[in-house]
Amino acid sequence: MVDAFFFVGLPYLAIVICVAGCIWRSRYDQFSMSARSSQFLEDGKLLFGSLPWHVGIITILLGHLVVAVVPRVWSSLMVIPAVLFGVEALGVCCSLLAIAGLSALIVRRITDARVQAVTTTMDLVVVVLLMAQIVIGLLSSITFRYGAAWSAGTVVPYFWGILTLQPEMAHVTGFPMLFKLHIIGAWVLIALVPFTRLMHVLAVPLGYIFRAPQLVLWNNPRRRREAVDATARAESRRDFIKGAVGIAGASGLLALGVSEKVVTYFKGPDPDPEAESALLQKKLERLQQTAEERQLELERQRVEMILVARYIELDAAKGKYFIDYAMAPGLAFKGKNGLPLLISAKCTHLGCTVGSQVNAEGQIMCPCHVSYFNIVTGQPNPGAPAKLPLPHLAWALVDPSGNVVASGLPGGEVEGTPSPELLAQCSLYITKPRHSA
Amino acid sequence: MNLPEIIKNSEAYVAERFPVEKMSYSAMVVKKEVPVHRLSWAYYMGGLALFFFGVQMVTGLLLLFYYQPTVSDAHASVEFITDHVPGGSLVRNMHAWASSMMIAAVMVHLLTAFAMKAFAKPREITWVTGVVLLGITFGLGFTGYLLPWHQVAVNATKIGLQSVQEVGQYLPGAMAEWPRIVKETIQGEAAVGQATLSRFFALHVIILPLAMMATLGLHLLSVQLHGMSRGIDGPPKRQEKFFPTFFIKDLTVWGFAFIILFVIALCVPFESLYSYPLFEPFNPKGSTPDGIKPEWYFYFLYYPLELLPFWVILVGSTVLGAVLMGTPWIFQNTSRKTLQILTVLAALYLFVMTVFGEQIYHMFKG
Repeated sequence: MVDAFFFVGLPYLAIVICVAGCIWRSRYDQFSMSARSSQFLEDGKLLFGSLPWHVGIITILLGHLVVAVVPRVWSSLMVIPAVLFGVEALGVCCSLLAIAGLSALIVRRITDARVQAVTTTMDLVVVVLLMAQIVIGLLSSITFRYGAAWSAGTVVPYFWGILTLQPEMAHVTGFPMLFKLHIIGAWVLIALVPFTRLMHVLAVPLGYIFRAPQLVLWNNPRRRREAVDATARAESRRDFIKGAVGIAGASGLLALGVSEKVVTYFKGPDPDPEAESALLQKKLERLQQTAEERQLELERQRVEMILVARYIELDAAKGKYFIDYAMAPGLAFKGKNGLPLLISAKCTHLGCTVGSQVNAEGQIMCPCHVSYFNIVTGQPNPGAPAKLPLPHLAWALVDPSGNVVASGLPGGEVEGTPSPELLAQCSLYITKPRHSA
Repeated sequence: MNLPEIIKNSEAYVAERFPVEKMSYSAMVVKKEVPVHRLSWAYYMGGLALFFFGVQMVTGLLLLFYYQPTVSDAHASVEFITDHVPGGSLVRNMHAWASSMMIAAVMVHLLTAFAMKAFAKPREITWVTGVVLLGITFGLGFTGYLLPWHQVAVNATKIGLQSVQEVGQYLPGAMAEWPRIVKETIQGEAAVGQATLSRFFALHVIILPLAMMATLGLHLLSVQLHGMSRGIDGPPKRQEKFFPTFFIKDLTVWGFAFIILFVIALCVPFESLYSYPLFEPFNPKGSTPDGIKPEWYFYFLYYPLELLPFWVILVGSTVLGAVLMGTPWIFQNTSRKTLQILTVLAALYLFVMTVFGEQIYHMFKG
């Protein structure tokens, strides 16, 4: 019964009073609708109270508003731990800021005689209620952590239930007393809006940001003379603050983004075991590949003959790649006479590796700048970018017992004429070029 | 001329280019003014290039934390940066895009400085150091291209270095061998391999950036000493203060450049401009894949190289280099109007060759 009053009756009462009261006041008592600024009476302490208070409370209220309007988007953001912690921390900071500001305002209001003179009872009620509400809010957010996350599934449906005339107080009746007090406090404050200076929240002075600065001065000749300078100073200060806020905001965001990225960048990835082993596997394969290349190089320095292929693997139309003694690619074909034909595959133009497929004209092509080389003569086609022929390479055919049965020199001289049956059993080697010098 | 006179003259020459009395904060910063006229936008180009150089320094240093310059690990470490390191693909992509943007800014800077006759006395040193900086920038582009050690990188480097050796065919006698020796000295061994990678890494990461900073110091010092060149024939509309007015505008331009770079780097992988197989790790035993070409900023040299006999390009680029270095003396009596026409022609050539180079190539070669 008590719950029903506080969480269904009171809200509707508050809403009705607030709406009706605001309409009434805006029609019959328009000129009282203000924050009743006392800046004119006391301009020193105000800055240190009003500014932190408004910055803190506006940020917090915006947070409440966003979670109420887009609860799903909000919840999906709160799943990220860093965001949740960040939002909670921001909330606590802003509450503390607001409490500090409000305290300064209270001190100012009860110690300054000029401000005292314009203070009404309602002002004091509002200020005490606000202080209580924000302290309770802070306490409940610290006692029951992660309110930023769980409120989206509890308070928000309750709030929408009230607004859509389908009140569902079960969402909130199970809450601890502290948090219930916070909700009740909110409804009371809403009910008080039309009767207090709180009504100024309905008239957000956005125009202040864009309009030209206005100075309020005592009207006497000396002040009027000073007004020119004061206006210039105010304008320049305004420009400076606008620029400074922009730069501070931008560099703050930039620093936040960059440092977040840079920290995780230096921390490095945190791969799962499977990804990690896949990475290691890949690195090992690359290392092995490099080791093989090193081995090839060493072999070419030390060994007189290197195996290219078995004779029966050779083909007349498709060459087999190997690495020659200069560590450059070569191609092995079966020639027309049945004997091997070995030709360098390093294009004489710019050193690309020539393709292995022989076309109908008996040519192989370099893909880089399209030169066709005749595999028998090595000559490039007329007009090709390559001018020099591909050199032929020396080879030897070795039978299974290890005897050289035939060999060829780059010039085309062939020694030995093995029978086809023997050829089929042979293996093809390249032989180390003899240095003529 | 006798020796004392030569010394005296060269002293006067240096003193005019580096006036000691102007080497003060007040002369170089407080009193410096920037002319405002229809070509004023060109004054931002050098600063923009400087900004991209800064981006390259920062992102490059970040990449250094993960990159491994060995033939077995280079490609894997680049893949690791792209696929696994948090923010790694962004950093790498920014490095790739900013390199292109830096070269674009440098090229526009060169063209506008030429058109505005910003090399006229006493700004010869500014111009010559600028040309050196251009060379270093291209050197950074060329050496950086090899580091990922994928097919296109290694093969394009091979082709680039091979063209050094090609010079040999035009040299007489024993000199014909020299270019080959030069090439092998650069690449460190008979073929592009580990030695080449180590050398290019050292060049790209230490030597060229240091050379860049030294030259840049001289370049910026002379810019601040002599102020902005007037740039047009008539009097400018007005002058604005370098500090803070122009400086803040410069920062604004940098801000926009950063946003553009960041968004592009975030959204468009640099490699999406090429077909995939080119980014497989380099395989020394396989055949060279199709479509090997250098970065876009070498197209102006590459496509003519494909189309014309080698000696034409050789003579052409030698003459171009000499003209660039000698510009302050060759064009000292040329009017700004003529310079602007030359600039437009050069810009047209660069634009057409860079954008339509491939089409032109296919038009002639089928």
